Amino acid sequence: MRNDPIKYFFIWPALFVVLAISIFPLIYSLTTSFMSFRLVPPIPPRFVGLDNYTSLLANPRFWHVTLTTSIIAFISVAIQYVIGFGVALALHAKVPGEKLFRVAFLLPMLIAPVAVALIARQIFNPTQGPLNQFMTFLGFPNLPFLTQTYWSLGALITVEVWQWTPFIVLMLLAGLATLPDDVYEAASLENASSWRQFWDITFPMMLPISVAVVFIRLIESYKIIDTVFVLTGGGPGVSTETLTLFAYQEGFKKFNLGYTSALSFLFLIVITVIGVVYLAILKPYLAKHR
Amino acid sequence: MRKLLLGASAMAALSLSTGAALACDPDYTGVTLTAASQTGPYIASALQTAGEAWAKKTCGKVNVVEFPWSELYPKIVTSLSSGEETFDVISFAPAWSPDFTDFLSEVPEAMRKGAAWDDIAPIYREQLMVWNGKTLSQTIDGDVHTYTYRIDLFEDPKEQEAFKAKYGYDLAVPQDWKQYLDIAEFFTRPDKGLWGTAEAYRRGGQQFWFFFSHAASYTNVPGQKGAMFFNPETMDAEINNPGWVRGLEEYVKSSKLAPPNALNFSFGEVNAAVAGGQVAQSIGWGDTGVIAADPKQSKISGKVGSAVLPGSNEIYDYKTKEWKKFDHVVKSPFMAFGGWQAAVPASSKNQEAAWNYIEFLSSPAVSGQAAITGGTGVNPYRISHTTDLALWSKLFSEREAKEYLAGQADSLAAENVVLDMRLPGYFSYTEVVEIELSKALAGEVTAQQALDTVAAEWNRLTDEFGRDKQLTAYRASMGLPPL
Repeated sequence: MRNDPIKYFFIWPALFVVLAISIFPLIYSLTTSFMSFRLVPPIPPRFVGLDNYTSLLANPRFWHVTLTTSIIAFISVAIQYVIGFGVALALHAKVPGEKLFRVAFLLPMLIAPVAVALIARQIFNPTQGPLNQFMTFLGFPNLPFLTQTYWSLGALITVEVWQWTPFIVLMLLAGLATLPDDVYEAASLENASSWRQFWDITFPMMLPISVAVVFIRLIESYKIIDTVFVLTGGGPGVSTETLTLFAYQEGFKKFNLGYTSALSFLFLIVITVIGVVYLAILKPYLAKHR
Repeated sequence: MRKLLLGASAMAALSLSTGAALACDPDYTGVTLTAASQTGPYIASALQTAGEAWAKKTCGKVNVVEFPWSELYPKIVTSLSSGEETFDVISFAPAWSPDFTDFLSEVPEAMRKGAAWDDIAPIYREQLMVWNGKTLSQTIDGDVHTYTYRIDLFEDPKEQEAFKAKYGYDLAVPQDWKQYLDIAEFFTRPDKGLWGTAEAYRRGGQQFWFFFSHAASYTNVPGQKGAMFFNPETMDAEINNPGWVRGLEEYVKSSKLAPPNALNFSFGEVNAAVAGGQVAQSIGWGDTGVIAADPKQSKISGKVGSAVLPGSNEIYDYKTKEWKKFDHVVKSPFMAFGGWQAAVPASSKNQEAAWNYIEFLSSPAVSGQAAITGGTGVNPYRISHTTDLALWSKLFSEREAKEYLAGQADSLAAENVVLDMRLPGYFSYTEVVEIELSKALAGEVTAQQALDTVAAEWNRLTDEFGRDKQLTAYRASMGLPPL
């Protein structure tokens, strides 16, 4: 390869675009996180070092929203995975009406989260919502779906599961389609039960794609904001407030930009730690089934 | 032939321009105004309707850009502080004024005189539209909390008899909050689909204004301007004093007498509950009465009574730290939110046309029509709005109209009317109120604990924003001279 300086001339525009679009905002945000910077009321920016970070780490609300987000993310993704795997297996086994189910199951994923939240809000409506009307019909009391902490968390998890299980179905279905038939034929010749085939063949062979799918869903679930915003507004109190909603309140309602930037980076750290731990735990299993 | 064509073209152009000159008064041909509003129909529909009429009159054009309530403030403040010419007209809450005033143009002098100007209720004209002696905005909606009730229930002889037997006094429009809660308790009959009251309790759903309406009756000592929210000499938060605690305790109590899951009610749900005949009474803005009177939207049209908010005969005095007793009930109607205002950013290149549009929008005729149109969100703010009974007879029965207009007019003219808080960093202050209210309503903390937390955060915020600066702004917003 010739060492022609002209190549730099052609590389620089692309590099500049990458820097401008992806790196600069991150650096700017990181710089802002070390400053006291409020847009409203306007306070001149000043360097405060790690004050925003220490203040956040000492703020019980930060730990509370981190816990809430983790609860919503882990529980909803676990349920999504279990249901998603079951549905994917059923569809892969070509149950009657499989094509109809395939389309019907994928529909929720295609709707915008805010629209899903609005639909859910109507369903959970205290007096006119069908769910409470049904419960009342059965003789149960009117349930506080969106106004008490545990019910609200349950409602948010339910909506997450309803909307995002199809994504897992889609990915796992693609994975199932790649599994070789001869392994199952050999297992059948050995009279292995369906249950045994699942645990000893399907599940291990699906592990790599399962790890990837769960990882994607976990990260996405940590970003949940629209559903919470519409359904509970983060209430009661801050009991259903998530990390991104907290960041929104600080950044776009209070315009506390330095604090919000620090919060964003702590959010990044939380996600990175969870990702690293998750992959570290699963590494031996992945190596075993490679 | 060519000459003939040229001549015809010239004649056509001349006739068109003469026609335009006649039609356009004043002529704003080619001017397009961009107006920022919250998502319709409230306020946005009023801006649009007036915009269409203004366009016909002046040949200009108004493009109303709508943002969800929670996005409006960020959009405007970002545009103003960055000096962009994004908007020619902004509609906003008075509470946001302190963050905007540095970037607004003054109302033209010509607009500040004449019958139409004098017709604006003084509380708006002299206080809410003014900041540090400068008139920077025009009220386009009057907002004061009033009381709404079901005439048919209140005047049912059986109900009256049963109420008197239970509480020992006549069933009537409540004079104080204890009576309000008694009435709410009396009419709470879940088996019949009827509840005592409806207020907004949802975090992010205008809840804190409803709480402020309760607290105003116990904290706004007559003759002590600005006594409610902060000590106007030191800027220490007053929100955890016994008057406020009592207000919160009653607000929480009212939530238990509201329809199931009312904790998720914002003002829209309150109106739906009232118009749906689910509740015997409610408090809120004037929209409630208008919507409830509209047979297309309501099951109780023709039965909608209105009045000034309940009051109290004892008010906590922050100076003496004691309850001040009165020999009569003092009504302290709360100007919750204070009504939408319109202003023209100094960065706008179309300031003259923009103010002309605002003058047209807020003119007695145009605003009067908007006020009687359900869903515009425009409530009375002109004297003529509350005196023109004929105008309101299109919507209400005669009795309903009289009560509604008296409720509005008496509230605005009340001696102890309470102004809403207007402070830089308004949302930082109200956010913690929303969080703690929400906890108190869910029974997670007591009223005192909730308000102690709010007070501590308010004091911290005041220090962070600069106590002297905040004190100056607070005093200006309450019509007090600088210290």
